[in-house]
Amino acid sequence: MNVDMLKVIREVSIEAEDFYEEAVKLGNHAAYALKARHRSQMTGLENIAESTFKTSDVFDYIKKQTARFPQWRQADPKARDPNQGFGERLKEHLEKKLARRLAALCGPRRLNIGEATDEERQMRRQIYLLLIRQFIRQVVVHYEYQVSLGNKK
Amino acid sequence: MPTLAQLQKVWLLSDTVLYPEAVAFIRKLVREQECDPLPTSQVAGLLSIAESLRYDELYRFILHQRERNWPPGKRDIKTFYTALEEVLGVMRRKRLKDEFRLLDGVSAGELKQETDALMALLAREFIQHLVAENGLVAAELADQHAHQRSSRRQV
Repeated sequence: MNVDMLKVIREVSIEAEDFYEEAVKLGNHAAYALKARHRSQMTGLENIAESTFKTSDVFDYIKKQTARFPQWRQADPKARDPNQGFGERLKEHLEKKLARRLAALCGPRRLNIGEATDEERQMRRQIYLLLIRQFIRQVVVHYEYQVSLGNKK
Repeated sequence: MPTLAQLQKVWLLSDTVLYPEAVAFIRKLVREQECDPLPTSQVAGLLSIAESLRYDELYRFILHQRERNWPPGKRDIKTFYTALEEVLGVMRRKRLKDEFRLLDGVSAGELKQETDALMALLAREFIQHLVAENGLVAAELADQHAHQRSSRRQV
């Protein structure tokens, strides 16, 4: 398998442009639920995403935070599902919506990376991690922006 | 000691196989067998021993917990460890070699040591995913019970 990493980075950046609006919504939800005083939890999320080799580490972190802190289970009344907590919404987005984007991105019309060999599966996993990192970066940036505007308590 | 290629394979398996299986493991115990999630004290003990990366010690701990004479209110703990022993037993006896192909090229003399080292890594991954899912399910159930209590008070 010969994958052009520049092409991968370009395709991931295109996806990141595309999911920006979704990340903004999650950033708003994070600001509503966590407020400025729980900033370290968002920093922790970003640190995990940036440093791990496994997508499941990010999902496990979200689950642990959701189990431990009621703020992570707080719903956003302005969201499409006003009963869904922040952690559950974020996890669902990463596990389902980004996984669908990954499948499209790796399809024959774009990166053309199959799933037959370990090498292909490893490459898909790396791209999935790149998508997750981009998404979480955007969520955290928007969270910071929102809390700086006054949602500070 | 596992090679970088083996470690990369373990990470891949952790994401694509062990994570969904750990989620299904907990959901099945709680939803289908109506067990309580594993209590915090058990979670801490299991996670701590899994993170020490000594598979023989971990396996002994699981067998010990399975064989203990639990009081009726804690029988779900026995069910949990019975199921966990089954999963890890099959992984060690069969999946490690046949499905995961992690022992390709390992000589007969190194087989036991390599098997234990790889099982320690796989078991740690599986247990970390179990523990995260277990905590989430426990929090969901606690919220549901709190909601039911508050609804009853309002009636």
